[in-house]
Amino acid sequence: MFDRNKDKPSVKPESPSPASSNSGTNMSQSTPSPAPSHAPSTPSVSSSSKSAVLGATIKVKGDISGEENLLIEGQVEGSVSLASHELTIGKTGKLSANLTAKTIRIDGEVEGDITGKEKVVVTSTSQIKGNIVTPKMTLEEGARFKGTIDIDPAHANSSASPSPSVAPSSKPASSSASSGSNSSSSGSSNS
Amino acid sequence: MTLAARESLAYPETLPTRLVPDLIDRFQKVDYLQVFDTGFAVSETVEHFATRKCRLHFSAVYEVLHNPPVIAAKKDGRLVDKKAQDQALYQDWKVRFDKALNYPKGTQFDVCFFWDFFNYLDDIALKAFSDSLSPFLKETTVGHAYVLLKEGYPVLNRTFGLAAKDEIIVRQAHWPALTAYARPQARVTSMLQDFRVNHSVLRRDGLLEISLKAQMATL
Repeated sequence: MFDRNKDKPSVKPESPSPASSNSGTNMSQSTPSPAPSHAPSTPSVSSSSKSAVLGATIKVKGDISGEENLLIEGQVEGSVSLASHELTIGKTGKLSANLTAKTIRIDGEVEGDITGKEKVVVTSTSQIKGNIVTPKMTLEEGARFKGTIDIDPAHANSSASPSPSVAPSSKPASSSASSGSNSSSSGSSNS
Repeated sequence: MTLAARESLAYPETLPTRLVPDLIDRFQKVDYLQVFDTGFAVSETVEHFATRKCRLHFSAVYEVLHNPPVIAAKKDGRLVDKKAQDQALYQDWKVRFDKALNYPKGTQFDVCFFWDFFNYLDDIALKAFSDSLSPFLKETTVGHAYVLLKEGYPVLNRTFGLAAKDEIIVRQAHWPALTAYARPQARVTSMLQDFRVNHSVLRRDGLLEISLKAQMATL
């Protein structure tokens, strides 16, 4: 789905989350810019491999899934699912979508439910309305998040889904609504 | 410059608390903690609870206050029916709070951090908020709040987070200043039908810090 220059051997493996595509070209290759214009100060979601990029002028209505890392700088309505890879929502990214990935970093705007199977990083530039399910959560000062965060550190070193016991969504979220039962959470929370 | 005014200049500020540790400690053995917060997510609060299995509900219900309901007065010369007007206001607030607290059925909070939210609600709004929150409370629910007893202290329009169980972090709010209502503790708690005050501490900055314990109405 995404155009990647897979033949380029010069991509730095340790580069942080890639810069946005200023050209607005369709799903361009994330080049290892030496000084990304909005590179995060703390690359807390590792970028050990190349990412496909959805450019800032790209609008998608529908479901996105794949088996590679993805940086979204454009707009998405629907869902994004990268079961075993990293998803980054860049500063210009605006999503009305449910997100699922191994690790998720959010610099932009998201309205929807977010499931990070290993980790979710919410940076200071982000604005989020939705629910987050993850075993490990980092929220930077200045981030605006309104919603529910489900944390289960016991799953931090596991690639398995955190399996929320109550569907936390105020809107439909296929990723979380199907697992668990409501009664177990309230039952376990009695002191 | 008063001590309170001096303190207001330095953000983030850390407020020691003797009441929160008791609230948190009583849930040490609970394997899944449900926390309600009236504000946006704050990094310190997330970090504090991230070491345990929990669900943090950041309601940002302060947002509701930026657009309060207004009941238009009749201009036909008739006397205003104050009771009907108050009832209409209550209903309007209730609808707004119900929308803001739209949690799944069965959600029940263990700990509620109200911070200074009560101080921005008049009596009618406070009653409506209490009623909207009620379905999500249980007998063991506890709460924490700051009550504004007197005006004149620079203690308004701030955000709060829990840096440690005995340390509350305070920052300037990112939203426009809200109208505040100074009231005695008894009047505040009389509007909160599901809570009673467990402990209270009068702070030097003029706020009364209170810990609350649920008192669910029996049928």
